[in-house]
Formats: sequence, C-alpha cells, structure tokens
Amino acid sequence: MARYGMALDYKSCINCRACESACKAENGVLPGRDNYRIWVGQKEIEGQFPKLSISSLTYQPSQCQHCDNAPCQQVCPTNATYYDENGVVRVNPEQCILCTYCINACPYDARYIDDRTVTVDKCNFCSDTRLANGETTTACQATCPTKVRTFGDLDDPNSDISKLLEKREYKQIKEHLGTKPKLFYLL
Amino acid sequence: MKVEISRRRFLQGSVALTVAGGVSMTPASVLASAAKVEDIGKTKIVATLCEMCVNKCAVYAHVKNGIIKKLDPNPYFPKSRNMLCPRGNSGLASIYDEDRLKYPLIRDGEKGSGKFRRATWDEAYAYIGEKLTKILDEEKDNRSTVAFCAGEGMAEHTFKNFYTGFGSAHFLNHASLCLATTVSGYSLTIGGYGQSDLENANYVIMAGANRAEAIVTPDTMDFFKRTKGRGAKLVTVDPRFTNTAAKSDKWLGINVGTDLAFVLALTYVVLKEGIYNKDFVEKHFNDFETYKNHVISNGYTPEWAEKITGINADDIYEVARDFMKHAPQSIYYQGRRTTWSKNDFQLRRAQAIFSALGGGIDIKGGICFGKKIPMEGHEVPSPIYDQSEPRIDSTEAAVVGGSGTWVGFRNKVLEGRAEYPIRALFNYKHNPMQNMPNSKKTEEFLKKLDLVVTIDTMPSDTVMLSDVILPECTYLERTDPAKVYGGIEPAIVQRNKVVDPMYESKPIIDIMRGLTEKISKPLFEITKKYDEEVQDAIKEDGEEATYEEFDLTLAFKQTQEELNHHAVSKHPGAAESLHEKGVFYPNMDKWFKKINVNEYEYYPESEKAYSVRNGKFKTPSGKIECNLSSLTKRGIDAMPTWKKEYEMVIPDGQFRFVTGRHAQFTQSGTANNKMLLDLVPTNYLWINKRVAARMGIKFGDELEVASSVGKTRIKAYPTEKIGLDTVFFIHGFGNYSEELTLAHNNGGRDSNIIEDSIEPMHGATCLHDTIVEIRKV
Repeated sequence: MARYGMALDYKSCINCRACESACKAENGVLPGRDNYRIWVGQKEIEGQFPKLSISSLTYQPSQCQHCDNAPCQQVCPTNATYYDENGVVRVNPEQCILCTYCINACPYDARYIDDRTVTVDKCNFCSDTRLANGETTTACQATCPTKVRTFGDLDDPNSDISKLLEKREYKQIKEHLGTKPKLFYLL
Repeated sequence: MKVEISRRRFLQGSVALTVAGGVSMTPASVLASAAKVEDIGKTKIVATLCEMCVNKCAVYAHVKNGIIKKLDPNPYFPKSRNMLCPRGNSGLASIYDEDRLKYPLIRDGEKGSGKFRRATWDEAYAYIGEKLTKILDEEKDNRSTVAFCAGEGMAEHTFKNFYTGFGSAHFLNHASLCLATTVSGYSLTIGGYGQSDLENANYVIMAGANRAEAIVTPDTMDFFKRTKGRGAKLVTVDPRFTNTAAKSDKWLGINVGTDLAFVLALTYVVLKEGIYNKDFVEKHFNDFETYKNHVISNGYTPEWAEKITGINADDIYEVARDFMKHAPQSIYYQGRRTTWSKNDFQLRRAQAIFSALGGGIDIKGGICFGKKIPMEGHEVPSPIYDQSEPRIDSTEAAVVGGSGTWVGFRNKVLEGRAEYPIRALFNYKHNPMQNMPNSKKTEEFLKKLDLVVTIDTMPSDTVMLSDVILPECTYLERTDPAKVYGGIEPAIVQRNKVVDPMYESKPIIDIMRGLTEKISKPLFEITKKYDEEVQDAIKEDGEEATYEEFDLTLAFKQTQEELNHHAVSKHPGAAESLHEKGVFYPNMDKWFKKINVNEYEYYPESEKAYSVRNGKFKTPSGKIECNLSSLTKRGIDAMPTWKKEYEMVIPDGQFRFVTGRHAQFTQSGTANNKMLLDLVPTNYLWINKRVAARMGIKFGDELEVASSVGKTRIKAYPTEKIGLDTVFFIHGFGNYSEELTLAHNNGGRDSNIIEDSIEPMHGATCLHDTIVEIRKV
C-alpha cells in the first residue's frame, strides 16, 4: 500500500524525449504518433526574430496525472478504470468496451487507444513492468538525462518525493477542476 | 543488395520487428532457440556501453531468452551520470533493424547499381587479397595508394592497428569534418581542449554549441539542472533559437559566420576597461601586451562588431562585464562540431584567450584538464615500408595532422593533382557520402577507386558504393577495447558483449584477424619484390625473422577479452569490475555512493581533478599563448584577426544555410532507426515565418533547396526561431540507399547542397559558408 505520485523539476527538461522512447520500450507501446503514454508539451515561441521571448518557450513533460479525484474513473460505465492499491489510476483491458468516455473526460488528454487490445491505454507508473518486480522507479524517471522526475510514495514522509515537496514550491495542472492530480511541477 | 532471403532469415527479421514494436508481443517459443536452456524465462542483466553516438554512456541491457528487451541507464560511469538519452534507448531498434548487413557481399554489377552477391567470409577476404596484391604490385609497394578511414568509436583503435601494420600514410576520420579547429585552437592556446566544468561554472557563453540538443556527457546533465536562475547564468549565441537558447538567460541571434567579431569585441571591452584577471594574466600570459595592442589598435569595439554580427553593442558590453564579474568561474564554451567558416581556428583561439582573461583555466568552475588512469599498452607491429610515400593532402592546408583533411584529400584525387594514384579505400563505419559536403564529388571519388572495402552494420550510402561489404555486428553483440576517459572524474570503461552476433556478422577484431590471416603473406611478397631495405634484411636475418616485423596478423592474435584483461592488469579488481559493471576507477568501491533516487557521487570533492597543471600549461612557453608567430610562415595569422573577406554578402531572396543536430539522431548513423523515427519522422527546413509568408510557403510544403553544387527536397517549417536570411535543417537525412527502407529518400540531404570549401589551418570543412535558393515544388 502506497500513494504514488511524481514531482517534476520541469525547468531542467531539455525536450530530448528520452522519457518517451524509454516508456515505449518499457511498456511495449506501439510505434505511431498517436500512441503514447507520456509526452513533452511545448508551444511555438512568442515574438519576432531576434526579439523572442525566452520565457514563452518552456518544455512541459507530462503524462497521466493519476488524479485522486479522476474524471476518467467517474465516467467509466464498466469500472474498467479503477484505482489500484497504490492509488495508481489503471485500466483493466478485460472490462474496457472502448466507449471512449474516459478519453473525452480526461482534462489532460493522457489516454489513447491501444490498437492491439483495442482498449484504452495510459501511463500506469510502470506498475506491471517495474513496480510489480519490486523496482521503485519508473522508466521515464530512470532514463532522464537531467533528472526531471522524482517518483515515490506520497504517504511515506521519508521518501525522496515527500522530502522534495516539503522543501520546494510547486504548481499543479488544472487544479481548479478539483481533480487532485498527483503530478507536481516544481517551481 | 539484391540477395535471396531464405525462410529462416525472414523469420529472424520478423522476430526483430516484434521486439522493437512491443515487448509484450514477443512469442517466447520462437525466440527460445536463441537462449541456453537453463536461461529460458530468466532475465539476465549485462553491463555495457552505448554506441548510438560518441558519448559511450554506461548501459544495462536486460536479456530474456536471448533477446534484448530493454536498455536502461547504468549508474557507475561518472561521465554518463546514470542516464540514457532517446538514442540510447533506441539501441534496441539498431540491433533488431531488419535492414542490417547480414553477410559478406561482393559487388555484382556496375558501381552504384546496388547489385551485390552474397559471399562467404573466406571468399570476401580472398577477393580483397587478390585486388590488393595487384594494386600494390602495380604501384611498386607504395602502401599509401591505399587509404583508410574510420568513423568515431571504441573499436576504431582495432581498425587503426590494421592501418598501422599496412603502412599507408593515409588515415582519414571525422576530425576535419568536425572538431579539428576547436581542439587545436584551445590546445595551442591554453595547452589542451579541456573539459568545461559545467557542474561548477557560474557563467557560460555557449556559442553555436547546442548542449540541450547535441548532448555531450557530462556537460548536458550537469548544466541544465543549474540554468534558469538555479546557479549558472547562460548566454547562448546562435543564429537559431535552439533548445539551449530556451534554457538561457540571454540569447543573441548572431549573423552566421561572425562569431570571431563577437569574441574580439568582448575582448576589446575587458582590455579597454581593464576588468580582466590581472593576477592570472601577469603570471600566465605570454605576449599579452602584443595581443592587447592588436585588439585595441584594430578598433574591435562593440560598435564595430554590432554592424558585422547583428548583436547590439550594449549586449556585448553587458556580456563582457558579466563574464568577468563571475570569473574565474566563467567559461567561453569550447564547442565541438566547429567546422563552420574560414576563420574557425582563429575563432577558437580568440575564445580560449578570452576565457583565460578571466583566469578560468585549470580551476574548479572553469576549463579543467583532469586526470587519466594509466593502462597497459598493447604492442602491435609498426613496420616501415621503404616505398611508402607521404600523405598527398599535406599540401592542402597549413597543418595537416594524422587524420587528414577529408575534403582536401578527396578533391586533390578528383582533380588529378595527387602526386601518385590513390587506388583503394578501407572504410570502417564511416559514411563520407553523407558526412562530407558535395555528395556528387564523393560519389565520383568512390567510383574512381579500384577497391572500396567497407565494414559496417547498416547499408549506408557509402556501403552501396563499395566493392566488398563486410558486416560488423552492432555494439550490443561485441566486446570492445577497454578505454580510459580522463577528466575531473576519470574512469576506465568497457563495452561488454550482450548477446551473440546475429546473422553472419562479426566484431571488427574477428574481421581483422580473418582478413590479415589471408592477406598478410601475399602482401609481404610484394614488399619483398620492391623494398630494398627488406631484401637486405632478409639477406642478413633470414626471411622468417624479417617477416615477423611485417606480420599483420600479430595485432589480432588475442581475443578482445584477453587484451582488455591485460590492459588493466595493474589495477587489482579492475577486470572483474569492467566485466560486471562496465566501469572501473581506483577506490570505486569506497567512493561510489547513491545519494538519492536520482543522484550518485563518484569521487569525493577533495579527489576531483579540477587543477592539475600547477601553473604550467602544456604550451611551448608554458603559458597562455596570445601570439603564435611560428604560424605566420605557414600563412596563418599569429593572432585572431578579423578580415573583410569573412563578411559574406547574402543576395536578396537567397539564404545562408546552416546545419546541425538534435537529441534524437546522430548524424546519418541512426537515420533508419525505427524508434527514433517514431519520435521525429523526418527533418524540416527552418525558414523565417515572415519570409515564408511572403513566399507563400506553409508548414509541410515541399521545397527544393539549391546551391551551386546541388539540390535537395525537404518540407517547410516556418518559424521565428531563425533570422530572415538564414535557413537550417538537421543533418543525416535524405539517404540514397534503397536498402535503408525507412531512411531512403526521407527528408532533406545537406551533403548535396553544402559547398566543399576548407579553412586554411587544418583543411577542415566550412559547413556554414553556402548560399542557397528555395522554391516551392
């Protein structure tokens, strides 16, 4: 029993996308531009050359926010989307009927369709490939060149993530929706 | 390569596809044959080193049932700092690429026709031997008529042993297409290229170097944790707004090819205002006053530089003063692929001197030289052939070193100016068709040779123009020479074989062994025929004793594992550590510590080699060299000087072309990688948004980019991240080879359009001196 979350030191992100390729290899996500559990968000820069706004171009690494109050879970008619014992938002492909309500409900656009199982898939904090084997990090955290991510148990006051959130300020994405996301962007 | 594919081969190919596509889909029963019975179902972890680019990061390969399932970072190597970039992750798609070279091939049609016949290794060796003996007989044992070239890599050394024994004067590698000017610019000025201590620097100017995209370890990892108001100030100088620019405090969009004027103006400010590190200059500068007078009397003011560089004079004043305020923890970053323009060597000299004016040399937070860990050498025969002539390309630039000037060499041969014919080329994993400007000339050059032997893993454009193709296995299928990486935190590392070579591919050392066993004796016969020194020696010492010196097989008698064991024999426990962890350094068991889930400590602070020179730099005077008067007799300026000819006019409606890299591809070597193409499917031409709008160009429009030497097609990416008169695209795309099924004709090819001029110091290419025209097609 744990309550897993992730802190992201997003200012360190260089948009190399190692996390994306590590995630695909680790979790067997099919190739293809629509198939991904994890991504780096960015906008086109503001201003005109050479007067460009440096601060307008930030890289925002992202994935499922594993909300404590997840809209995707609420709308699922078959309970295919559920919280596991570690607070990780999961999808049971056996129960998924591909109604896609969850894809529409997710405010973070974190879900996609896996063409093999023809069910919805998303980040599960490497629950099957790593956590089930006793590992304590996710593939995206481990591979990151600038160590953007810190994954861990929010309920354990001695975990690296708890200590980090204790001393650093952070923001959360679309917090106002009441989703209670478990991804924390460090300021 | 039109070769028959048997059912079994096809099956191997389809298995590979599945592995790269998704781990969970792998049918265990199909793969079981590749693993030992007792290992089935278990995961084995092998510590090895990456080879997807030049950095050699430490990797853990997870192997199940004989198949590599996943590559993860291995934390032990101080240089790679426990990470694996997208290319490192995508090594999976490199070993399991269906387009790999699978067996030896011999050309079976016109050169360039792509027709090859499958051969056995023995057939291929015999074919090479026959051709070589004929060539050397005709050339009277002038070994230099056979040239050697190699791509960067740990096993380049093994191939070089063959070159050394063979006795040719011609070795060519990437240096003159890459970093020759910066390595020598810094070495001749401050006594070494050094390592920027980006973990501790407080102020860094990165000009043209793009460490957020062109990843260099440990620089990239150390630095971008500290930018954005977190300890280190970064000024990025680049004609493009790169990912590095996005991480900086200040970005200066400079006109292409004018960096030298920028550095001279920075120097002017600190000399004029007397804000340099006076103590350091007094103790460690040679000919300082001469340089000071030179910079001031030439009027290299910020106002002067503004007109040339397009950078506001105010910004230049600010950067110069800020740099010195933070000095000596201030660095003008050396850069790596620095073959840009004619003034490149002088630019690097000016950077080194400017950096040194702050005193940030051989000091924590500055440019450090670091330490090495001694290793045992491996003796290989280095015979002298009396008939061997000196390099032909030494006339093409002031100082041509051991790795030559590639463009100078190629062009001299093509223009019929060579003192003697160049007949053959041995090529180890090098792709001159893509890495050298003006592909048309490279193709003509390769076709002109009587024998081109290429050892590679993938059917590159150069492979397709070869006569004999020898398939090397990928880095995950071989053990490479152990090597020391010196630096602030030095370590010895070793690439360990993860799985057996697939198909009929072999590691380079096995290829060299097989080849030399076949050709060493017949080649010696030619030497006997023409070499009077050898004839005398035989009379005196007998044939057997004389041959021993010329025996090419000696360098490859032992296995790579045996050689590695010997190389570290002086360090107790090193061989075991290299095998288990891929890494060794003295006291590693004591010093290596995990600090938290993301961080490790390799050396205690007191043991880091920040300062090693004791005030004596490795230059002729032992000081920072401002004035290299010995160069003037070779036609090279003794001090960095701006010349009118450096100011390139860009005609209206035309653009200056720049090339570069990003984090997802390594030159042309990864162009066919399925996992990387999944991240970035192709390259795009960066063109200014307003200019594009005027020309009616929208995102994704197909464009033709043409220069005086050729053209290429590419899709458009209109953006404000580039200036009005500049265009850019990533190198390595637009491959000709039809055997690269994913890379073939994918995107724009810069080697088609870049003009092949060279700079005067080392004959390094000027990759940013080309003007292009663009039209919608």
